[in-house]
Amino acid sequence: MSSGTRKRGTGLKIFGALIYLFLYFPLVIVLIFSFSPTKTLVGMQGITLKWYQELFRDQGLLTAFLHTILIGLASVSIAIALGVSGAFFLSRVNFPGKGVFRTLVLLPYILPGIIMGISLLIFIRNFGIKLSWFTVLLGHVSFTVPIVMFQIMARLARMGPNYQAAAMDLGANPVQTFRYVTLPMIRTAIVGASLLAFTVSFDEIVISFFLTGSAWMTLPVYIYGMLRFGLSPKVYAISTIILCLSLVLITLMARYTGRSADVYRVGKQEARARR
Amino acid sequence: MKRTTSPARAFLRGIPVTAWMLLLVIGPLAFTFLMSFWSTDGMQITAAWTLKNYALFFTDPLYVSVLAKSILLALAIAVLAILTAYPLAYLVSFRIRRGKQLLFMLSIIPLWVSYLVRIIAWRTILGNKGVINSALLAIGAIREPLTFLLYNRFAIAITLTYICIPFVFIPVYTALEKIPRNILEASSDLGAGELRTFVNVVVPLSLPGLVTGFIFAFIIALGDYIIPIQLGGTQGIMYGNLIWNQFGFAFNWPLGAALGFILFGIAVAVLTATSRFGTTEGGFLNE
Repeated sequence: MSSGTRKRGTGLKIFGALIYLFLYFPLVIVLIFSFSPTKTLVGMQGITLKWYQELFRDQGLLTAFLHTILIGLASVSIAIALGVSGAFFLSRVNFPGKGVFRTLVLLPYILPGIIMGISLLIFIRNFGIKLSWFTVLLGHVSFTVPIVMFQIMARLARMGPNYQAAAMDLGANPVQTFRYVTLPMIRTAIVGASLLAFTVSFDEIVISFFLTGSAWMTLPVYIYGMLRFGLSPKVYAISTIILCLSLVLITLMARYTGRSADVYRVGKQEARARR
Repeated sequence: MKRTTSPARAFLRGIPVTAWMLLLVIGPLAFTFLMSFWSTDGMQITAAWTLKNYALFFTDPLYVSVLAKSILLALAIAVLAILTAYPLAYLVSFRIRRGKQLLFMLSIIPLWVSYLVRIIAWRTILGNKGVINSALLAIGAIREPLTFLLYNRFAIAITLTYICIPFVFIPVYTALEKIPRNILEASSDLGAGELRTFVNVVVPLSLPGLVTGFIFAFIIALGDYIIPIQLGGTQGIMYGNLIWNQFGFAFNWPLGAALGFILFGIAVAVLTATSRFGTTEGGFLNE
C-alpha cells in the first residue's frame, strides 16, 4: 500500500511541475524574444539589446510610461485616503445594511471590468466631461479603493479594537490614538496595500480602454495600439521591462504585508463578505 | 457580537467612502441602467424611453446565440482552471513541506503579471510563425504551420484558463489550509484510504473555496473582451465584444448599456446563487 501511495504522490508532483511549466513558459518566451536579433526562436543567433535601445527613442512610449506612473501614484494616494477611512468605518461602525454596503464597495472589484468601463464612460460623458487624464484617474480610483480598503480591514480585524480602547482609557485623544497607536500598527498594511493597488493600476487596461481619449494614453493602452501592427521585438522588450517591474513590486508587497498570504486577502474577504 | 447602530458621530468616517461609492459605483451603474431604456436617432442618443434594446436582444438570434456560446466557453474555462489549480493547491497544501512558501508564491505570482504581457506571450506561442509551429517545423513533424492554434475559441480558452488559474488556486488553497489535519488522521484511522479521504473529507471541506474559484474564473472569462479581440479572430466573438462594439464601431450606447446590464444581471445572479455555499461551509470552517 505504501508503494501505491508513493506512486500517486509522484504523479501529483509531476502534474504540479507541468503546471508550473505551463505558468512560466510563456513568460520565459517573452523574455527570450526581447533579446533575439531575429523574430524566430529556432536558430536564434546571439543576443541583442537593440530593442531596448529603440524603446528609449520612442517618445510616445516614454510619455505613456510616465502617464501610467502618475496615474498609479495619484489613484493610490486617493485610494489610501478613502480606503483607510472607509476601512475604519466598516470595521468599527455598526449599522443596518452593512452587508450590502460591503458588497457595493466590492462591486468594482468583482464585476467584469467591461461593466465598470461602460458605466463610468456613460456617466462621465453625461456630465459633458471630455475624456482625458482625469477620466482615466476616476476609472482607476474606482477599483483601487476596494483593494486598499479590504487590505486595511483585514489588518484591523486581526488587531481588534482593544488597543484603541486602551489608549483612550489612558487619556489619549482620538488624534493621538490614531497617530501613536493605530497608525504604527497599520503602517505596513498601508504600504502593502499601496503596492498592490499600484501594481493593479499599472497594468489596468480593460476599464482604461473606455476612458482614454485619443491623445492621453497609459502604457497598456499604448502597447495595445502597438499590437495592431503585429508583434514587434519592441513589444517584447517593453513586456520584459513590465515583467521585471511587477516582480519587484510583488517582492516588496510580500515583505510589507508580513506574511505573503496577505497578498490575496482581498479575495478571501470577498468570500467572507458574501455571507 | 452586538449588532447595534453606532452613535451618529462615528458615521463621519463613512462620508468619503460613501461619496466615492455614489460617484463611481452606484451613480454610473444606475445611469447605465437608465440609458439601457433610451433610444438612438442616427448617431444621437435620445432619452426617449423604449424597451427595444432588450427586445432586440431576445429577438435577434445573434445576441442570444453569442451569449450562449460565451457562457459555455466560460464554463469550460472555469472547469479547466479548476482541473489544473485544484491539484496544484492540493499538492502545495498537503504534500509539500520544504519550499511550501516558495511554491505558494510561484502559484500566485502570475496573478500580478501584466494581463497584456500574458496575451502577448500566448499570441507568440500559438501564432502561425509562433513558437509551437516553428518548433514542429524545425523537427519536421509538420510541413505547413498548424492554423487551428490561433484566432479561434481554442486560443481564447487556453489564454483565459492561464489567466484564471491563480484566481482559482487562491481560494482553494485557503480552504485546504483551513482543514484541520487531525480530521484526515481520523478518517485514516477509521479505515478510509487516501482516495476515499480525498473524496469524502477533503473535497467537501474545500467546497467553499472551490465554488469561489469557479465563480471568479467564470465571471472573468464571461466578461473578457480583449482576449477575444487579440486571439479569437472572427470565429471567436464573445459576448463582451458585442458590448464593446456598441461603443466602438456601432456607437449605439443604449444597446450597449442594455447588453451590459444583461451581463450584470448574470454576474449578480451567479454570485447570489452561490453565496449559500459560502454561508454554511464557511461557518463550519470557522470552528
